[in-house]
Amino acid sequence: MPTTRAAPDPATRRPRPTPVRSSTWRDRLHRFDVRYVPYLLIAPFFLLFLVFGLFPMVFNGVVALRHWRLDDPELTGWAGTENFRRLLTDGDFGNALYNTSGIFLLSTVPQLLLALIIASMLNRRLRAQTWWRVGALLPYITPITASTLVFNVFFSRDFGMANWALGLLGIGTETPIDWRADKLHSWIAIATMVNWKWIGYNALLYLAAMQSIPRDVYEASALDGAGPWRQLWRITVPMIRPVVIFTVVLSTIGGLQLFTEPMLFDLNAQTARGGAGGEWQTVAQLIYKVGWKDLNLGYAAAMSWALFLIILVVAALNTLLTNRISGGRR
Amino acid sequence: MRRSTPRWLRVAAVGLAVGSLVVACSGRSTTGGSDGEVTLTINFWGDFGLQDLKTKYEADHPNVKIALNSGEYNAQHEDLQKKLIAGSGAPDIAAIDEGFIVQFRSQADKFVNLLDKDAGRYETNYLPWKWKQSLSADGTTQIGLGTDVGGLAMCYRTDLFAAAELPTARDQVSALWPTWEKFLEVGQGYTAKTGKKFVDNATNLFNPILGQQPVGFYDESEQLQMAGGPKVAFDFAVKAADAGLSANLTSFQADWDKGFTSGAFAVLPCPAWMLGHIQNTAPGTKGKWDIAAVPGGGGNWGGSFLTVPKQGRNVYEAYKFVEWLIQPEQQIEVFKKVGNLPSQPALYSDPAIAEYQNEFFSSAPVGQIFPRMAEGLTPQYFGRKNGPTRVAVENVINRVQNGTLTPDAAWAEAIKEAGKASR
Repeated sequence: MPTTRAAPDPATRRPRPTPVRSSTWRDRLHRFDVRYVPYLLIAPFFLLFLVFGLFPMVFNGVVALRHWRLDDPELTGWAGTENFRRLLTDGDFGNALYNTSGIFLLSTVPQLLLALIIASMLNRRLRAQTWWRVGALLPYITPITASTLVFNVFFSRDFGMANWALGLLGIGTETPIDWRADKLHSWIAIATMVNWKWIGYNALLYLAAMQSIPRDVYEASALDGAGPWRQLWRITVPMIRPVVIFTVVLSTIGGLQLFTEPMLFDLNAQTARGGAGGEWQTVAQLIYKVGWKDLNLGYAAAMSWALFLIILVVAALNTLLTNRISGGRR
Repeated sequence: MRRSTPRWLRVAAVGLAVGSLVVACSGRSTTGGSDGEVTLTINFWGDFGLQDLKTKYEADHPNVKIALNSGEYNAQHEDLQKKLIAGSGAPDIAAIDEGFIVQFRSQADKFVNLLDKDAGRYETNYLPWKWKQSLSADGTTQIGLGTDVGGLAMCYRTDLFAAAELPTARDQVSALWPTWEKFLEVGQGYTAKTGKKFVDNATNLFNPILGQQPVGFYDESEQLQMAGGPKVAFDFAVKAADAGLSANLTSFQADWDKGFTSGAFAVLPCPAWMLGHIQNTAPGTKGKWDIAAVPGGGGNWGGSFLTVPKQGRNVYEAYKFVEWLIQPEQQIEVFKKVGNLPSQPALYSDPAIAEYQNEFFSSAPVGQIFPRMAEGLTPQYFGRKNGPTRVAVENVINRVQNGTLTPDAAWAEAIKEAGKASR
């Protein structure tokens, strides 16, 4: 009896703990999977961001509050807000900010408008559609340095194609335009490079968004007598508003950080001056010059923080503005 | 040597060679033992005439490989400064121009004291001022050994002079311009007659004239002295630009190089190191150039030193190479190859230099012209901020040339920009 009673006992007891143990293990695994694995999976980004994004920003802020000159190791220690106060009266920074906004306006506005128009044209039925679309993206995949070097020759004073073409129209035949001599001409030249590179990229973004707009909306508006232009502004733009805002923010950030084009547009890029009188020196270029040419890292760090704040403000304003323009008419 | 843009092909070839050397040697020992292989990196700008010497030295020293790294003039100096502060990354051997030497000799503790390496025995070979330029202020540390000195002369195109009905023989040409004022008159005559520009760039008048002044941008107490030498040189440069003599080509840039071949300008102030650049840039103009005296007498423009930064990994081998480079044999070879005039006056009487005539420049007796200039010279003191200050003032001259700044407003602007650069 004891044996018959004893037998099932361990048998019934033994299997019981096993499922319990395995179910807690599974439970834990399940809970771990649900609760923590997502964090694990997104962790690489945040770790990388901590190391390469947040840390440099914070460290930059610390440097901005210090004296740090590579050519004068003696001068070190806390500077407090001195670097930032110096910014307010620095003519070079003012000049660079003025240049940056000028080039920014000359590039962003025509860039996005043209991209919209090109996208709406690509959105129609075209022969060799893929060819046109790939063609629009070609400038984007060209390395900036390569295209800038070509544009440098294009905008050369004595042998440039830009002056040759203008000459055909009867402009500047007497004295060819010196594209590097004054603000307006150098700004136009640099804005041209920026536009050339980014119009196609933005156009493809717009095109992707436009393809989700139902055709019958257009058909209905056509019945009501709306032409292509009216359709673009009253239907297309409001319906792709998120993408428009996205491109505006993106090109605001890019435009205010403009560096490579103005840098390489200089005949002697090593001076980082942006023209003999700083005609087209952008803020990013000035930061580079102050940090790595004048070797004043503290002041350069203060400048980059200032640029960060400026970008935040401008991007926010642009978002508001775009939001109103593209959707406010509803 | 002063700044100069490297030739594309050569640089590309050197870059490839350097790259493969670095790769080939990276895994091996980098200590200076006799059995291990060392790679010496040497940073300079333009053409120091090292290509053949490198091959020769490597053949004689199988354990040594030499990586030539030519860059832009200002960039090389700024880069060295950064590496010195950072504490690593400097080349084994760094060339420093006289325009930057004061800045570096005031950080003498970051360089190997060559006096410890028994370099003191070379002192008597050097022009006394050349030796002193790289000596620390207290006289206890010698950071570099001099390679070349600039000297001054005026290169001119005989064919363009003939076309403008100017004399072409070098003595007659020298007699045309005893002073800079006369030089200006000759230039105006040339431009009026031919409708072409006379000089390449007004900044290349500014620099030699500044070199002729007793005091340059800074006095020995490191005070900016714009009212003295700089004002004289600046006023003349602006005057020449205002008179329409300048082709307004930025030095060491593509259009400037093109100007040598296309005859965009007829004269060019040339220190000895400029000869190499002209030969390299415009080989097709061989025989069309000649060399006359510079207006206003002696002066210096440029000249370099070879230094051994302490942080280099092959200090021992590096010094041995530098010592080899400054021996008479090598100095003479560099002189013949690219025109850089040695800074050791004993060599000037060596027939290899004294009797040397440069075929490219209509067989001008360069071995006579430049040493005369270098020997009777009182050189300027260069302040610690000399380099950036010069760039700033050159930029103001460029703005006058491209018409965005009036000559009247230019001087005030130059003072302002120089003041900024001096801080």
